[in-house]
Amino acid sequence: MKHTGTRIGVICALLAVVFTLFAWRLIELQVAQHDYFSLKAAEKHSIRITIPAHRGRILDRNGEELAVNIPVRTVTADGTHIRNPAALAALAAPFLDLPVKELAEKLSTQRQYVVIRKEVSEEKAQDMIRAMEKAGQRGLYLEESAVRSYPNGEMLCHVLGFADHSGHGIDGIEKSFDKELSGQDGYRLIEHDRKGREIVVYRGQEQAATDGSDIRLTIDMGLQAILEKEVDDAYKSYHPESASAILEDPNTGEILAMACRPNFDPNHFNDAKPDQMRNRIITDMYEPGSTFKIVVASAALNEKIVDEHSRIFCENGHFSYGGKVIKDHHGNGDLSVSEILMKSSNIGSAKMALRMGDQSYYDYVRRFGFGEKSGIPLQGEISGLVNPPHRWDQLTKTRMAFGQSVAVTPIQVVMAMSAVANGGKLMKPRLVLSMGEGNRVEEIPPVREVVSKKSANFVAAALQRVVSDQGTAPLAHIDGYPVAGKTGTAQKVGSHGCYMDGHFIVSFAGFFPVDSPRLTGLVIVNDARLGSEANYGGLVAAPVFARIGAKAARYLDMQPSSDGALAQMANSSTSQAEAKIR
Amino acid sequence: MNGNRRRPTNSIEVNLLAICLVAVFFFGLAGLFFVYLKNQQHAVGDQARMIEFAIREVEAKNDALKARITAMTSRGALQRRIDEGYIRLEPIRDTAIARVTPPLPAEPDGVLRTAARDPDSRFGAVAPLRAVSR
Repeated sequence: MKHTGTRIGVICALLAVVFTLFAWRLIELQVAQHDYFSLKAAEKHSIRITIPAHRGRILDRNGEELAVNIPVRTVTADGTHIRNPAALAALAAPFLDLPVKELAEKLSTQRQYVVIRKEVSEEKAQDMIRAMEKAGQRGLYLEESAVRSYPNGEMLCHVLGFADHSGHGIDGIEKSFDKELSGQDGYRLIEHDRKGREIVVYRGQEQAATDGSDIRLTIDMGLQAILEKEVDDAYKSYHPESASAILEDPNTGEILAMACRPNFDPNHFNDAKPDQMRNRIITDMYEPGSTFKIVVASAALNEKIVDEHSRIFCENGHFSYGGKVIKDHHGNGDLSVSEILMKSSNIGSAKMALRMGDQSYYDYVRRFGFGEKSGIPLQGEISGLVNPPHRWDQLTKTRMAFGQSVAVTPIQVVMAMSAVANGGKLMKPRLVLSMGEGNRVEEIPPVREVVSKKSANFVAAALQRVVSDQGTAPLAHIDGYPVAGKTGTAQKVGSHGCYMDGHFIVSFAGFFPVDSPRLTGLVIVNDARLGSEANYGGLVAAPVFARIGAKAARYLDMQPSSDGALAQMANSSTSQAEAKIR
Repeated sequence: MNGNRRRPTNSIEVNLLAICLVAVFFFGLAGLFFVYLKNQQHAVGDQARMIEFAIREVEAKNDALKARITAMTSRGALQRRIDEGYIRLEPIRDTAIARVTPPLPAEPDGVLRTAARDPDSRFGAVAPLRAVSR
């Protein structure tokens, strides 16, 4: 009896252990790994469908739509649902713009998922489904999709960039903010009935899509239209290799307009050549020529190497230095700093540079933002080329003073000019005003103070004289608004590193109104088909700047200053002026 | 002979039977109700699916139309219309401008000031009326 009791006890214990193990396993399956196994089970009999997120729009600062989505459908086929491929092909082919024979071949399949055609318009897709329902046909299904559209076509193409057919940004803002614009696709696990329709009751896990954020740019399309028109006219008139222009708010660093030629239509980016797709304002570097004189003048003033009363002998137009001769366009004697800028004296600028220490001069060039990326949120920006002093030869310093032996990008020049306009602060270019609903991006503080306000104001006043009858850019004058600026005429450097005869990059960088600058602009015309005697920044780029400025002032409703108005009257004939005063 | 002469029979527990019947009835009723509800659920699900489909269709059509409106009113499209002569831009004469805020007085320099921009005006930041400085 004792043995029997022991046996029963052992068996019971074994059973208890076995059932405990079963129970443990059951708890593990049902509780501990519930999520994992329920997902596995769902995968067995469920279909995961993607809920596509809508790509965010790109807007200008006033809410004008620059990039939008057009809903389209992807037509797919389930071969197992198709009874009569020929009949279905004959019915659907006109809606899909496909030959009946080709479609019939595609539909003669037993595969459950075949993409028949992408980017079918919403209207055509719905018409096709209705026709199929009417004819009692099935086997073709629609998937949601969208194509990116740029309503303004070529306008602002280099800033906007484009997105590919799968909706991923490839260039421009589309690329830089692809993550923010794309959002996050959602999903839903569903079950189908025999006819391929969803059984809503058995809907499984669902994750809603998060739509991409709308991006509001600092670009003002009113100003952009003005800029595009003028750049286009210049491109057609002078037949240059390229033409570029930019407008910026010097106080905030906001880019208000930006245009390059040649350009392309982002709606048909496949047809564009690489040359058309380059945003030359950030990807091209060039020798700036005389526009760079603002750097040496500001630096020398800030370092108190010269002051407003200093006079520099300009060697009557011929200055031998380091075995080479530096020439001025017109021979000059003693000139003040202001006159050096006004008359664009190479010799005066070179002599100011020579008075500065190498490292100190180099530091100022770098502090103005040359030799480093400006930080504009666009792909492909280059930093230009500014060699450090240990790589300089005897001539480098003098050449840099008037914009040779240095390579800069247009965005760097316009930001440097803005630093002069706003009292000496280098701003970071800003292209995005806000992201999403009401999410205003924080204002970007100045990168650094480059020169003192006093020095900047002195240079600004000197640059105002450039846009006078005595200066090199009287054609940059805008009626009613005092303008300050600097011309640049630089010989092009060929592929062998030598200057090319008769090939020039001419530019004008300026700002207005001088007393309270609201706009800084830069116009560059690269290798205009003009004779050397007419191919100057003051003759080619400055008038374009003036036209842009005049139209922009009207568009922005800027109040003309009395100085500007008097200048306007001075330009008109005396009798007209007298009549106006009367 | 005092034995029970009554033939032995299986008695029916009426009460128990009634309870069982009622229970079965209720179970049956519950089952039918469950099936009914399940069918209703499927019907409502189908309706929901159709409504979702209709909403998506309307949204897609709406988006397509909005995109068309944007394309037709874009600057490029309007410029084309102007070039074709379909629409024309007429400069606004000073005499035709109704000023919502008083203009600044003309100053001795003879410059006619533009209408002051009033951010609180009903036109917001971009006033549609502009005077040209002469």
